[in-house]
This record gives sequence, C-alpha cells and structure tokens, in this order.
Amino acid sequence: MLGLPTVLITLRPAASREMGPPRAISPVGFLLGDCLGPPNQPDLQRRVLRDALRRWEAREEPGNIWELNYPDYQSDPAIVNGGEIVSE
Amino acid sequence: MPMSRRCIPYTPRRHELSETTFALVSTAGVHLRDQEPYDLAGDNSWRLIPGDVQSSQLMVTHEHYNHSHADQDINCVFPIDRLREMAAEGVIGGVGDKHLGFMGYSQKLRDLYERAAPEMAKIIERSQADAVLLTAG
Repeated sequence: MLGLPTVLITLRPAASREMGPPRAISPVGFLLGDCLGPPNQPDLQRRVLRDALRRWEAREEPGNIWELNYPDYQSDPAIVNGGEIVSE
Repeated sequence: MPMSRRCIPYTPRRHELSETTFALVSTAGVHLRDQEPYDLAGDNSWRLIPGDVQSSQLMVTHEHYNHSHADQDINCVFPIDRLREMAAEGVIGGVGDKHLGFMGYSQKLRDLYERAAPEMAKIIERSQADAVLLTAG
C-alpha cells in the first residue's frame, strides 16, 4: 500500500508548514472555525473546496501551501481573537 | 517526538479527480450527536462517521476555537454536503463510506504519531476512499 494522496485546508499555514503536508491550501484571512467559509454560504464553501481539489490534482513539488484570497469573505464581527480561544 | 522537517511524505495520485473517492478527516472536533464527546483536556480518540451521515446529525466538541459557525452549518469545518454536491456533478468520483472526526488537541504526541494516526490511516485505507480531504477548525 502506497498510502492515500491527501490535501489539507489550513487556516494556520505557518504551523501547518512545520508538519510538512504534501498538498495544502490556506484561505487568507479566514477566522478559525471558517475553514471552508462562513455558515450557509455554500457558493463560497464550494469555491474553497474546489480550490483544495485543484491543489490535490496539481502535479507540483510537495509541501507548497497555496495561500488563496477570497475577496467576498466577510469575517463575523461577533467572533473575536481570530476565532481562537485561549485557555486561562 | 520530533517530526522530520526534511522529508515531506508524498503519495502521488493514481487517478483523475473525476475518478477519485474522497474521505473527510477533520481535527475540528466533529462527531455524531449520539457519540461520546471528546475529552477537552486532551484526546487522541477518534469518531467514525458513516458515509451516509446527515449533516444535521453532526456536532462539534472543541474548546480551542470558536465553533459557533460550525454549530450553525457543519460544512464550515466538515464539508460533507459540498463534497456530495461535487460527486453529484461528477467533479469527484464519489464520497467515501467512512470519515473520521478527531479533536486535534493532545498532550500525548508520541501516542498520536505512533498509534492513533496510523490506526486512523488504516481505517481510511481499508474504506472505499482513495484520497483524503483534511480539515481543521
């Protein structure tokens, strides 16, 4: 068994890069919790997923994380600290 | 246990996208509503999510990111409905019969690398899937 080809969607590209994922994309500026995009926005979620599948398809050097912009993404002002919750 | 930073493991794809069945593996804390929640203090256990799951059956247990959006729409972190749409349109070959939920917060890294992750990989390798989409919170 050769293993399975994977693709990762990460909102923490620097941290993910440390782990060396062979294929990954990172939507720029998305809050934690919005890995595919905000709730009930299937069109944006589909674009992110489609880009992840393009990255999966691409025959290029492993380890390259595509950092992609989605200009119509609007972060939710109710979510603070980038979506991260730090334990006290 | 240090991860190798020199060698990036790489499995070439053997099929075209339209012929490939994808499984979802997520560290966003996704599980079925009737499955035991993850231990918030740290947990290397996973939850098997059946291929025919309805998105309304899924929930998140995780306290290191704000999952209020995923509580409204699990596709924010676990895009099962989006993946099925892609399969219905013929973009991908199909959606696998097994997916895995995981919390991705653990103090037991050796156990994670040496036991848990290989066991999870084995489950997916033995499923219908021939590729994996990984998501996090």
